[in-house]
Amino acid sequence: MPRTLWSGSLSFGLVNVPVQLVSAVRDLDFHFRQLHEKDKAPIEQRRYCAEEDVEVTWEEVAHSYDLDGKQVVVTDEELASVQPRKTRTIDIEGFVDLADVDPIFFDHPYLLVPAGESEGTRRAYRLLVEAMGSTDRAALGRFVMRTKEYLALVRARDGALSLTTLRFADEVRPTKPVPSGGRKKPAKAQVDRAVAVIEELSTDWDPGRYEDCYRERLRRVIEDKRKRRKIEAPEPTRQPAPAEDLMEALERTLEEVRSG
Amino acid sequence: MTFGLVNVPIKLYTATESQSVSFHEVHARDGARIEHRRICAKEDREVPYEEVVKGYEISEGKYVVLEDDEVKAAAGDRGKVVALDEFVDASAIDPVFHDRTYYAGAGDAPEAYRLLHEALRRSGKAGIGRFTFHDREYLVALRAHDDVLALHTLRFADEVVDPGDLEIDAPGRKPARKEVEMARKLIDSLHEDFDPAAYADTYRDAVLDLIRRKAKGEDIDLDAQEEPEHGDDLAAALEASLGS
Repeated sequence: MPRTLWSGSLSFGLVNVPVQLVSAVRDLDFHFRQLHEKDKAPIEQRRYCAEEDVEVTWEEVAHSYDLDGKQVVVTDEELASVQPRKTRTIDIEGFVDLADVDPIFFDHPYLLVPAGESEGTRRAYRLLVEAMGSTDRAALGRFVMRTKEYLALVRARDGALSLTTLRFADEVRPTKPVPSGGRKKPAKAQVDRAVAVIEELSTDWDPGRYEDCYRERLRRVIEDKRKRRKIEAPEPTRQPAPAEDLMEALERTLEEVRSG
Repeated sequence: MTFGLVNVPIKLYTATESQSVSFHEVHARDGARIEHRRICAKEDREVPYEEVVKGYEISEGKYVVLEDDEVKAAAGDRGKVVALDEFVDASAIDPVFHDRTYYAGAGDAPEAYRLLHEALRRSGKAGIGRFTFHDREYLVALRAHDDVLALHTLRFADEVVDPGDLEIDAPGRKPARKEVEMARKLIDSLHEDFDPAAYADTYRDAVLDLIRRKAKGEDIDLDAQEEPEHGDDLAAALEASLGS
């Protein structure tokens, strides 16, 4: 069972379900430590006062904010005074169509598990899983974790309640400044061909089919290094030139994918 | 970006940015900047960046040292080409797989870019490919978003926790069908359009307000905790929906 990050209750109407929040993802990356090349001793990051050139402990550190060029220093106590009141509930405010929430808003995925052994809790949890699992809707709620208030989406996934924290609207950049290739609409015949290529290359989403090749290659590099084998970087592939004739490129692609 | 024999040059842009209030550390006593220095634990002295190497710990205190070039060797194809080998229904990718989002803007073949955008939009598909970025290979999904293409990096299946592994105990007695129906009715009655602009980061606002008050020299009341602005509406909504 993954570590509990938050515990409280999910409140949905008159139903109150005690829950625990756990991360829905696990970190499988290789992590490196900084070492001193000469003696292979670990490097420690220590804080120094730039003016006095002496080491400073964490307790002596304050936070400074640049307000239009003026340095404003605030202390931990002052920050704590504006932190949201530690609530122990995820308040569901409404239900939205999951399809309406653009993936760009998804931040971190978690799972909610029922807290405690009581039959009432298990039944209430199961009730939410079943009721939400039978719709394409997700609950929108807010809760406070550590010092921050989060907006979150709660829905049923594979027999459990899944919670995804969402980015706030002003944390998503507008698409307007991004070059979109002008206003000229592509010819219908071209779009038909392109859609046909896409359909030919379509498959069901099956995440288990994809392997993290980077992690695997890094594992091999570490293994090779340990056995003192030589490591060589692969040559980069050359960037292909854009097609001169789009329609012709589409036709040829379609032929290729259809002939398998 | 290639699909089949069609190449679509793109440029990448960040799509999201944290708006959390960021501070830098200062020494409380004199307000001077705090510097983070690299200290060798054995010699107890500062180490310049050139003398730092990456070590992977294989057993307690034993490291395999890797040069930067060796780590880069694992990066994957650095040819800056994303081949969209296959396509899936964009809506079939569960939110749990989504990691970061970038915007892929049009490069110097705008016609091909508009074509790919329109074909993805019309088919509702996302192109799946591999992409090497900052010395690491990612699995990515490319889909139409507004008038541009959005590139999502995806998590791998083994990084995602299977709810089945959590061993959530089933209740002794399952919820009755009537209860499930009631709950569904409640879900329907609380249905609303997703309007992200309706939600603000209240903590961020409170911190910025604190900074402004402090800048004006105001005294900060350390005991004052603001009540959250929401919380009561739900009860009212529920009463209304249950009462009908």
